[in-house]
Amino acid sequence: MTPIAGGVALNLALGCSVLTILALLVYNRTLDHRLFLLGQRLGLAISFFVFISTFILGYQLFTSNFDIDYVARYTSYETPNIFKISALWAGQSGSLLFWLFILSIFNTITIIQNQDRHLNLMPWVIITMSVIQLFFLILTNFITNPFEPTQADFIVQNGNGLNPLLQNITMAIHPPTLYLGYVGFSVPFAFAFSALVNKDIGALWIRSIRRWTLVAWLFLSVGIILGGWWAYQELGWGGYWAWDPVENASFMPWLTATAFLHSIIVQEKKDMLRVWNMVLIILTFSLCIFGTFLTRSGVMSSVHSFTESSLGPVFLSFVFIILASSFGLMFSRMKVLKSPRKIESVSSRESGFLFNNLIFVVMCFGVFWGTLFPVITEAVNGNKISVGPPFFNQINIPIGLALLALTGIGPMLAWKGTSNDKLVQNFIFPIAFGLLTALVLIILKLTVYTVISFSLCIFVVVAISSEFIKGVRVRKNKFNESIFISLFKMIKKNRSRYGGYIVHLGIVLMFIGFTGHAFDKEKEFGIQIGQTEKVANYNFELIRMYEQERSNHYAWITDLRVTDISGNFVTNLRPEKRVYFHKNPDVNKRQPHSELDIYSTFNKDIYSIFSSVSSDNSTAFVKIMINPLVKWVWIGGYVLAFGTIIALWPRKD
Amino acid sequence: MFTLIIFAAPLIYSLQPLLLSRINVVSKPYDKEILKRKKILLYRQIKELEMEFDIGNLNKEDFLLRRSEIKAEVSEIITRIKKK
Repeated sequence: MTPIAGGVALNLALGCSVLTILALLVYNRTLDHRLFLLGQRLGLAISFFVFISTFILGYQLFTSNFDIDYVARYTSYETPNIFKISALWAGQSGSLLFWLFILSIFNTITIIQNQDRHLNLMPWVIITMSVIQLFFLILTNFITNPFEPTQADFIVQNGNGLNPLLQNITMAIHPPTLYLGYVGFSVPFAFAFSALVNKDIGALWIRSIRRWTLVAWLFLSVGIILGGWWAYQELGWGGYWAWDPVENASFMPWLTATAFLHSIIVQEKKDMLRVWNMVLIILTFSLCIFGTFLTRSGVMSSVHSFTESSLGPVFLSFVFIILASSFGLMFSRMKVLKSPRKIESVSSRESGFLFNNLIFVVMCFGVFWGTLFPVITEAVNGNKISVGPPFFNQINIPIGLALLALTGIGPMLAWKGTSNDKLVQNFIFPIAFGLLTALVLIILKLTVYTVISFSLCIFVVVAISSEFIKGVRVRKNKFNESIFISLFKMIKKNRSRYGGYIVHLGIVLMFIGFTGHAFDKEKEFGIQIGQTEKVANYNFELIRMYEQERSNHYAWITDLRVTDISGNFVTNLRPEKRVYFHKNPDVNKRQPHSELDIYSTFNKDIYSIFSSVSSDNSTAFVKIMINPLVKWVWIGGYVLAFGTIIALWPRKD
Repeated sequence: MFTLIIFAAPLIYSLQPLLLSRINVVSKPYDKEILKRKKILLYRQIKELEMEFDIGNLNKEDFLLRRSEIKAEVSEIITRIKKK
């Protein structure tokens, strides 16, 4: 199908979204079920047309149709096929279409899943989701259309090609995963909005969104971790998190969503925190759109500057509309939302959840404040004052450690309250192990935060492990099963509980990785062939330097032989200095890029960057970083994803 | 022609309900659905409570008190379901 068909499909989707909203609004007044069916089917038609236009754009990218401006801007004949597809979300109009595409997948699933369920909630769920689709359809139809023809009065021989930073396999996965998370929260938000409109705040809407929330949270978490992984492998500064505004934009909804995931358990089990849950889901979805605003607006300088545009005010207006309509509706439903029950004891699990919620929200506020501080100062006194990582670390490290402690404390508290004898019994071992660890680390003269972090990690691991051990022991004695069968059946029968504990263990592993940052070492030096340089406990010998021409870049490669202090061979590192678009006659369009090489083990990473080469090609300027425990951040990410999948797995009632 | 069919088919499918005569949908008793859900949740809470007791996170006194509270709540809900 032609690009024109892609544009027409977007027009039809826009028309269908308006009709869906109208049909369902009239249905709400007349209760004529034909209109409900019409709304449902039009809702599916929107998605269908969005799918068509996305596939058409994907096909144009794949076949390098440079008559389309978007294709010419973000791909070239030399762009590898995988990155031609990932170019779909490399630019503004394509990424907005991709947002819409994911939203349409979720919309389709929601409509099909609830064809005969939640008849009272579904009309407003479809209306809410159609309004969100309409917003993105207005953008892609009228403001930034991905099917715009190339504005040139000559035939475009080749496209610009994809930004080298984006030519990384992680970057082909990271944005879709993050989008799946961002967009996924539109479903719980739509159910929450519908529950408010219908004054139906019972247990059913919570049930219908719990799994959706968990799915969106999983994707958002994995997306954030992949983003860190990409930054670590691609940006060349040796870290994975820089408190960059766009990183913060994904972290803020993650914080509120994590709080929401905990507090809906309290609402489902104890019918408490109804208002709080509404606040959290509204904030989470608004922060997802706000995140897109931060990425798209260009108000912040960021490593994601390739996504900047002038769409910021449009997104900001949409965020205001969401906040005003949702909170307005919520305040008008305050009587219905008021929970009949109250927390009875400080040592109860519900108070633990509430406390963790408050910490998450405070952390989110701290990140929000730090992220927007440059904009606020510029608005107040005309000077843009940025707060860097030290501000965020100062605020978030203590809060993060408090959260880490709570991941261990929470599971040991009982609903409604824990008696003093049980408090002592449950906490004695984890505290003892934590204190013992602290003592050893103090003797080793580690810094305060390092001691606290590692001790808390041990405290949480012991606390959670004891929950597993106690559970297995009971099952083993009761049913005379082997340890592994008991463990398997125990997890199977209590998926959300033990899945949650596994997620907590994943968080602990990530904290171990974060804490390793305190021991980072780095050295930058010039080196000639045959010379050796020592960094920490390793020797780096430059064996050779060579050049290679590849399809989409030219590379200078250094070959470094790494040996340990005793002379034993460790690895060969081959960091590269690349020039992308090297065949472009316009020298200004050629893009230099440093491709790193990392040797990764469980206790440390050796991270090498080839910064530059002297004009006579005799000296390579190299930066080496020794980053302890980084691998545990990624392992923690796998464990977190595994635990979430266990918690997500459907159960029979 | 193929493109035309692709574009027309979803529109025809969407508009088809308008050609039907008015449909009266008998909705399921919604309150009953909520009560049934609450019952399931309370049963789960009893199971969880028993587990907490078995693994030693609750003492006997607290366990018996909370179990009787939840059981009373379940009985009340079952009575309400029967009335619907």
